Amino acid sequence: MKKILMILLIALPFLAQLVVLPFANRIDPIIFGLPFLQFWLFLWIVLTPFCTFGIYQLQKSQGGLD
Amino acid sequence: MQQGNLTALSITMFVILTVVLIGFLAGRDKATRSSVEEWSVGGRRFGGLLVWFLVGADLYTAYTFLGLTSTAYTAGSLAFFAIPYSVLAYFISYFFLPKLWKVANQHKLTTLADYARERFDSKLLSSLIAIVGVLMLIPYICLQLSGIQDTLQVAGTGFINVKVVVITSFLLVALYTFFSGIKGPTYTAIIKDVLVWAIMLFMVVSLPIMHFGGWDPMVDKIVTEAPQLLTIPNEGPKGIPWFITASFVSALALFMWAHAATGVFTAKSADAIRKNALFLPLYNIVLILVVFLGFIAFLVLPDGTDPRFALLALIQTSYGGIGQGLAYSTIALASLIPCSIMAIGASNLFANNIYRDLINPKVKGAKLTMITRGMVFVVIGLALLFGLVFPQALVSLQLLGVSGMVQIFPAIVISLFWRNQTREATIIGLLVGLTVTFTVYSTGTSLGIYEGFWGLMANFASVVVLNPLFVKKAKFSTNAVKDYLFGEKSNKVDLVRKGA
Repeated sequence: MKKILMILLIALPFLAQLVVLPFANRIDPIIFGLPFLQFWLFLWIVLTPFCTFGIYQLQKSQGGLD
Repeated sequence: MQQGNLTALSITMFVILTVVLIGFLAGRDKATRSSVEEWSVGGRRFGGLLVWFLVGADLYTAYTFLGLTSTAYTAGSLAFFAIPYSVLAYFISYFFLPKLWKVANQHKLTTLADYARERFDSKLLSSLIAIVGVLMLIPYICLQLSGIQDTLQVAGTGFINVKVVVITSFLLVALYTFFSGIKGPTYTAIIKDVLVWAIMLFMVVSLPIMHFGGWDPMVDKIVTEAPQLLTIPNEGPKGIPWFITASFVSALALFMWAHAATGVFTAKSADAIRKNALFLPLYNIVLILVVFLGFIAFLVLPDGTDPRFALLALIQTSYGGIGQGLAYSTIALASLIPCSIMAIGASNLFANNIYRDLINPKVKGAKLTMITRGMVFVVIGLALLFGLVFPQALVSLQLLGVSGMVQIFPAIVISLFWRNQTREATIIGLLVGLTVTFTVYSTGTSLGIYEGFWGLMANFASVVVLNPLFVKKAKFSTNAVKDYLFGEKSNKVDLVRKGA
């Protein structure tokens, strides 16, 4: 379970910012005053640290950090 | 060029001089230049916050602000490639920088090339890495130079001789870097980062109100009048495939730069680096906003404005006087401070990995420290010389900088995880990667994909295919760094250190 979560957290920023990008490449809908592409990039500036933090916590709980 | 603005010019000059003064004061303690380790990585004593400021100051340069706005001005949303690029760069760094830092700390290494030498027992590899690093970094320092030059040109035309002032300010930076080492740019980096955030936020709030009556009317106007700016083209020489590969390759390359590595090695613990990887993406909020400044410039400035001056002209027409002065000094600082860190990185590579590893292996102690520090003048001098005398010769090197730097990724990062990676395969891979990148670039056969991507693929392929040919020797040989990374003994050493 933890392993799957870990893989997911590692893969997510890459999928969202590289693989999925062609589908996010659009103007509508405009969210929080940002056209969709810009909103999407903005969103992942904020979400990526959460992924990193999740990985950090997982590693810590497994005693993988010193 | 039209007449500058005297108020803006005086403020900019005042801020530059103040920062230079602080740079000197930072080094009044003699210990800052007592050894290469003290001078270049501050004795590895910097905590999380200080490293954040330093790496932030390092990577968000005048060129970032001027280059991104001019890309946004001419090529619209392609400029946004900088966002996934740097967000992913920090994310990726989380997985290898703490490990790299630990090896460097254990073995008192101050450059990436040092690590490659110890890891592979190869002075050939370390000097190759150093040559690539210095060769790619000098044009990058030149870019910073053009940052401050453009600023002074717009504000100071009719008042000062721009070239003389640029040369003087860079010599002052070289002098304080020589004197204070990494402490100089660290303290001034805090001033620069605070100014960057304050000024950029101020501009992003005030410019839409001044020109369009608010943020939403501005976005509406872009959507109706220039929708092409808001999305990435699907094809063409620079479309979506370029955007994705450029982001990815640049993300891998970011911490291969000598100045980024210098920033990282100043950290006092692996955990400080992890925290940095966590929080650095937030710095990019500024970047998104900066790209919008380029869009504003597109709507506001008259046709035919030189894209290179898009941001500077926008600031001059919108504010003038004090606002312009503060914004310009921010850009000037964003040019001078990274330049200082870059010069430290390049000097370190030159002295440790070209001079010592290749020319005079016996040099050590005080003499090596002196040579490292003295190289600052050579590096900044070369950058000035090329930047002012042959600006055109550097354009290709600047464009290829990232694609070139990323080729050391297998030598530096993959080798942290792959025990049996051999020196021979790594060296051939590096050379193949560089050759492919330059060939693709000079023949224009990139097929809409980032040049460095082709090079890196060729590099990886060579390492993987050739490695089995040389692996026998690598399997049974070991050394201190390999022991530390992969051996059983290393854990004990670690425990002892922690207990002590």
